[in-house]
Amino acid sequence: MNDGNIQILPLFSLGPLAITNTVVTTWAIMALLGLFAWLLSRRLRMEPGPVQTAVEGVVLAIENAISAVAPEHSQRILPFIGTLWIFLVIANLTGLIPGAHSPTRDLSATAALAFLVFLSTVWYGIRISGIKNYLRHYLTPSPILLPFHLISEVTRTVALAVRLFGNMMSLEMAALLILLVAGFLAPVPILMLHIIEALVQAYIFGMLALIYVAGSIQSQQLRQKQKE
Amino acid sequence: MELSWSTFVLELINFLVLLWILKHFLYKPVLDIIAKRRAAIEKTRAEAEALHTDAEKLQEQYQRRLADWSKERQKAREDLAREIEVQRAQKIADMKSVLQQEEEKVRVAESRRQIDALHKTEETALMQAATFATRLLEQAAGPEVEGRLVDMVIDELNQLPPDRVAEIRKSFEATPGEIQVSSAFPLSDDHRQRLEEAMTRFAGRTVPLRFGQNKELLAGVHITLGAWVLSANLQDELKGMAELAHGQ
Repeated sequence: MNDGNIQILPLFSLGPLAITNTVVTTWAIMALLGLFAWLLSRRLRMEPGPVQTAVEGVVLAIENAISAVAPEHSQRILPFIGTLWIFLVIANLTGLIPGAHSPTRDLSATAALAFLVFLSTVWYGIRISGIKNYLRHYLTPSPILLPFHLISEVTRTVALAVRLFGNMMSLEMAALLILLVAGFLAPVPILMLHIIEALVQAYIFGMLALIYVAGSIQSQQLRQKQKE
Repeated sequence: MELSWSTFVLELINFLVLLWILKHFLYKPVLDIIAKRRAAIEKTRAEAEALHTDAEKLQEQYQRRLADWSKERQKAREDLAREIEVQRAQKIADMKSVLQQEEEKVRVAESRRQIDALHKTEETALMQAATFATRLLEQAAGPEVEGRLVDMVIDELNQLPPDRVAEIRKSFEATPGEIQVSSAFPLSDDHRQRLEEAMTRFAGRTVPLRFGQNKELLAGVHITLGAWVLSANLQDELKGMAELAHGQ
């Protein structure tokens, strides 16, 4: 749990960049995940142990979820969607650690993730369909719909960022308020709710990102098939 | 709720770095090891399927061989049954042949026994008839019978064909001497004369006749000149009949 300060404060500066606790927490998460992945990659066996079995289960679950939405491109988009899910689960749950703040309660972080989702939809769409075909889909079925397409891209990205930020921010704030008002044991149910909410929000963000990316890929392919 | 561009940029970079780290140290190795395991499992499954296929082939081959063996066994049984049937038929035929031979032997032996019995019966009958005839002729024999026998001899000698007469004459010439004439009763002069005439005609010369008496002849004469013998008496006839019975 946090210590009662939910503001985003810069800890220090690297030149023009202000390093906030959100960035530091993200670095800590990256370090932990990187160390864990590195250690795991050195100990992979054909007959897996409990940790390797759990990790393989997680990876296969992610792959199956992606295959259910985009079966032809699951291997290509798995790293992006998988990293989103893993990072968001850990980042959302970080708020449960005393003295630590969830990075996802910072709109800058969620906006960055949402912007990456937007870029990924463009990136995968262009890589799979070509830039002409991808840009052409903004003009279909009619060029009149171009503004609506653009608005849709912006609003869904903003919605993605604000949804995650709002839920995590409100969750931390509610927990803080209950802690301030009710004492020590009262926030325990809120902590349970925090866990569920963290998982649900991570799942929603990752699934929406997956749907956006898959929709970007498959809409192009569907159009090409219709032309053929 | 304010947007910090430095945090925004750093979070972008952070996420991309994390993406690279997880891609190279988590997803790729884990997916590779899963793919290897799947390949190993697939290989094992393929080997198991190959073994299963081989086992099925072996089982099929074994079943086929069993069927062949069953057919061969059935054929061998049929051949054996046929051979046994042939040998049995052969044995039965041989046995029938042996039985027929034995039956033939028995039949021939029985026939011989019947013939022998018939011969013995006939011989006995002839012997009894000869004995009866001898006893009867001993009672009935007399000079009259002897005279008729002498007449019969003289008539037969006179009726002999010329070649037979020539043959007898040649025998007479080869054996000089007198002719012995035996009779059961004394011959009459007439008979003696007629006998001398008949002998002279046969010999072509005068041959002395020496008459004698032999009661055992019962009736009739017995004429001898060397090896030539002419019997016309009851004793020789009865003896001839007895010998005839024995000869049969």
